Amino acid sequence: MSNPGQIDRRSLMVGAAVSATALSLGPGSGPALAEDYPTRAITVINPFPPGGAADVVARPFAAVVEPIIKQPMVIETKAGAAGAVGGQFAANAKPDGYTLLMHIVSISGFAEVDRLFGRKPKFTRDDFIPVARLIADPCVLVVNDKQPYKTLQEFIDDAKKRPNELIFSSSGLYGALHLPMALFLKAAGLQVRHLPTAGGGPAVTALIGNNAQALVSSIAAASGQMKAGRVRPLASFGATRAPSLPDVPTMKELGFDLEYYLWVGLFAPKGTPEPIVTKLRDVTREAVKTEAFEKAMKNIGQDVAYQDQAEFKAFWDVDARRIEDAVRSIGKVEG
Amino acid sequence: MEATFDSLLLGFSVALRPDVLLYAFMGCLVGTLVGMLPGIGPLAGISILLPVTFGLDATKAIVMLAGIYYGSQYGGSTTSILMRIPGEAASVMTCIDGYAMTQKGRGGAALCIAAVGSFVAGTFGVIMLTLVAPPLGTFALGFGPPEFTALLVLGLVFLAYMSATSLVRTLLMASIGLLLGMVGIDVMTGHFRWAFDIPELGDGLGIVPVAVGLFGLGEILSTPSRSVTTKVVSPKLSELLPNRAEWRAAAAPIGRGSVLGFVIGIVPGSAHIISSFLSYALERRLSKTPEEFGKGAVAGVAGPESANNAASTGAFVPMLALGLPTGPVTAVLMAALLIHGIPPGPQLVTEHPDVFWGFVASMYVGNVMLLALNLPLVGLFVSVLRIPYSYLYPLIVMFCIVGVYEVNHSIVDVWIMLAMGVFGWVLRKFDFDPAPLVLGLVIAPILEMSLRQSLVMSNGHWGIFVQRPIAAVLIAICAGLLVLSAVSMLRRRNDWRARLAAEEAGDAA
Amino acid sequence: MKVRRDVVAGLAVLAGGAALWASSGDLPVGSLAMPGAGMMPMIAIALVMVFGAVLVFRGTAGPRLAADHWSDADHALRVIVATAVATFLYTRLGFLITMSLLLFGLVGLVERRRVLPAALFSLGVALATWLLFGMVLKAPLPPAPVWS
Repeated sequence: MSNPGQIDRRSLMVGAAVSATALSLGPGSGPALAEDYPTRAITVINPFPPGGAADVVARPFAAVVEPIIKQPMVIETKAGAAGAVGGQFAANAKPDGYTLLMHIVSISGFAEVDRLFGRKPKFTRDDFIPVARLIADPCVLVVNDKQPYKTLQEFIDDAKKRPNELIFSSSGLYGALHLPMALFLKAAGLQVRHLPTAGGGPAVTALIGNNAQALVSSIAAASGQMKAGRVRPLASFGATRAPSLPDVPTMKELGFDLEYYLWVGLFAPKGTPEPIVTKLRDVTREAVKTEAFEKAMKNIGQDVAYQDQAEFKAFWDVDARRIEDAVRSIGKVEG
Repeated sequence: MEATFDSLLLGFSVALRPDVLLYAFMGCLVGTLVGMLPGIGPLAGISILLPVTFGLDATKAIVMLAGIYYGSQYGGSTTSILMRIPGEAASVMTCIDGYAMTQKGRGGAALCIAAVGSFVAGTFGVIMLTLVAPPLGTFALGFGPPEFTALLVLGLVFLAYMSATSLVRTLLMASIGLLLGMVGIDVMTGHFRWAFDIPELGDGLGIVPVAVGLFGLGEILSTPSRSVTTKVVSPKLSELLPNRAEWRAAAAPIGRGSVLGFVIGIVPGSAHIISSFLSYALERRLSKTPEEFGKGAVAGVAGPESANNAASTGAFVPMLALGLPTGPVTAVLMAALLIHGIPPGPQLVTEHPDVFWGFVASMYVGNVMLLALNLPLVGLFVSVLRIPYSYLYPLIVMFCIVGVYEVNHSIVDVWIMLAMGVFGWVLRKFDFDPAPLVLGLVIAPILEMSLRQSLVMSNGHWGIFVQRPIAAVLIAICAGLLVLSAVSMLRRRNDWRARLAAEEAGDAA
Repeated sequence: MKVRRDVVAGLAVLAGGAALWASSGDLPVGSLAMPGAGMMPMIAIALVMVFGAVLVFRGTAGPRLAADHWSDADHALRVIVATAVATFLYTRLGFLITMSLLLFGLVGLVERRRVLPAALFSLGVALATWLLFGMVLKAPLPPAPVWS
């Protein structure tokens, strides 16, 4: 599955089959007219509630894409199960280029989780064609400003003193924000209770409402609250310090061999015709270079970390293996 | 306070500029249009007009986008009242008494009351937004999972007052609604539940297909054309406006609905959906003539419509005060701010007072505009009812199909709508009321999520619901209401519900 | 033995609840501290069955399942069939053809209105809706495979 050529060939064949079916039904009923694409609004599925990383990236992205394609790009929220609901919806959508998916790092883990619980996977990585990666930044561990912790060590000490009393919020079981926290807790030997929510946005809400005391968040979703001083960053999960948070030490500096990035990428369902995917790649390349998009990303403390299909595919293959390892190392969470 | 007043003046000086007014009007117009048509919500409207906003400065863009948002709330009641098609969850309660009023020839009055109620509630919401957004935002943050659970349980307790059928029937319907709400992928663990290998069921049964089926199509199935005399449904032009008695009956519910809706709206999360249900139940509880509900009670239109509008204004509080988007629509607005280089968040008000106060002032203006836009349209809409029924109902069937399909572009949703239409027809034969079922469906995912989150937070101890102050108060209200109704049940004096139960027990029907 | 309305309804609910219970046995219930996917469904099914049982119990003295109650079944059945056919054709033949057919089927065939006005009405309304959704609102309706 890590051979990119294979995937491309197959999606081409499926695409051709779809086109052929469309032709036999009559012209104009499907993706046969790729050069005109898009002729109507494109829906981008955001599998998380508003305020999460996929959401805050997808909306400005849609806004800069619209003038390029001269068609509306509608963001549709299909939240639930740490992003599995929206992913499953997109995997089963008609592969005509009018339903796309904006998903994050956790897209790689769902099949592994299903395997862990002996369930039939809802979808696998093969159900999607990667189009482009838009941002990738290290996650950051933040605490509520009502908590006294100024450093990660203070947080660790307090959590050791009171096992199973502190609560951390996440974007859902095995979600993108559960994995890094679980890895950290394991490395530090801590017992902290888990409050799963439906996405990065509600996870931040739970944190600033002090229903949870700690959270590993994407910089994008927490930047506004960090600037306002409602949440305090203690450590980042990058190899080097994040450009927008130069004062926050990395986990590596603090003695934990942890690295975890939250990236947001654009996907198309398997079977989307190759010409349409190419068009989407061109559009995306143009959109991410606009000043408006860069400004919007700056506003949420992100740099554009654009990767085109080939590069993104290679990156994703490596990243997915790490995520699958993380899921396995956390193991079965009761429920 | 004086500072607020000055800021508001600054806001009005922005909002009343002719060019800003023009964009507000465009937003309101498109909003009314998309709100009226089933299946096309404010989100689509905003997305349609979003490209237009690129060249604009932040204030104009936001004013126009906000216009679409609250404009669509006004339009939402039209199809509910005239055709019994609820375009969204919030309009379900309006269907019941609104359509009953239409059948009595008071459709115009119902539309007017809905418009005026929306206006009052919207304006009230904006005033509250002006005065108390920051402290309210902080209060709303106190709503964690336990508080949410308590609020929803309160909603379920109110359910007893929601329906004209007996308590057992109401609770049975609500439980079936809860069950239907659990179809699909479990939002916490990712397990598939009752999806029967239909991938489209993964994200559950939509509220719109179920509500449109139960109410819109169900109504048509149980109304054979020969039993309809067109005279009943086409009112004279002079009867369009509500009469004095109707105004008087609407006044208090509009006031209560505004307060209730706003309070529920500020809670981050999806609680605003239940505001119209709660308002309906509250009005029935307080009414001197609860048996009128379901047969065209004015309060049954005025309360929920106001609550729904106030809640949508309240939803701006967490966004403006805390920088938290609480729903898809506020998220679109936040994205618009981001694109224009304004980072939303707690600093928005201090760093960009012209945008914030211009936005607030434009909501005052927009509400006046919408009222002026909607009242004259009432006459136009009501003339739809002049179409003979044998031509009208095929039209309604078409709109049911189109509206449901447009929501997700999913034909499975249309099949669900059809199945629910048949189900609604059978329910009616057995004298069940579908409204509690829809409420159950709406709250099932939120109730399940918040209950499970609470238990996770407390490590399995139920005490969490009484240890936290807000949750404890809500639970106490629940208990009080239960005790009250138990007392009145024991007394059985002049209780309309007791009479109903007696009727049901005997062979009266 | 008279057939009582509420007994029939209650028994149907009980049967449905039992079937659902049987089909959700593999859902993990979990524990109180970590409730699983099966907890709420079990609670809801239990509630449904309890209320169904109460309905049966109380319904033995309730109103009968009267036959004349169902006089509209004929009309309802026609509308259901028409809607089902339209739903089936909607994504296959597109909006214009399907909806013209649906409107004509209901107005002309079910309601037996005069053919010409019914046909004109059906075509006109379908076309106007098509233009409103497609042109003004830019909301995509299923296109017809034959033209467009």
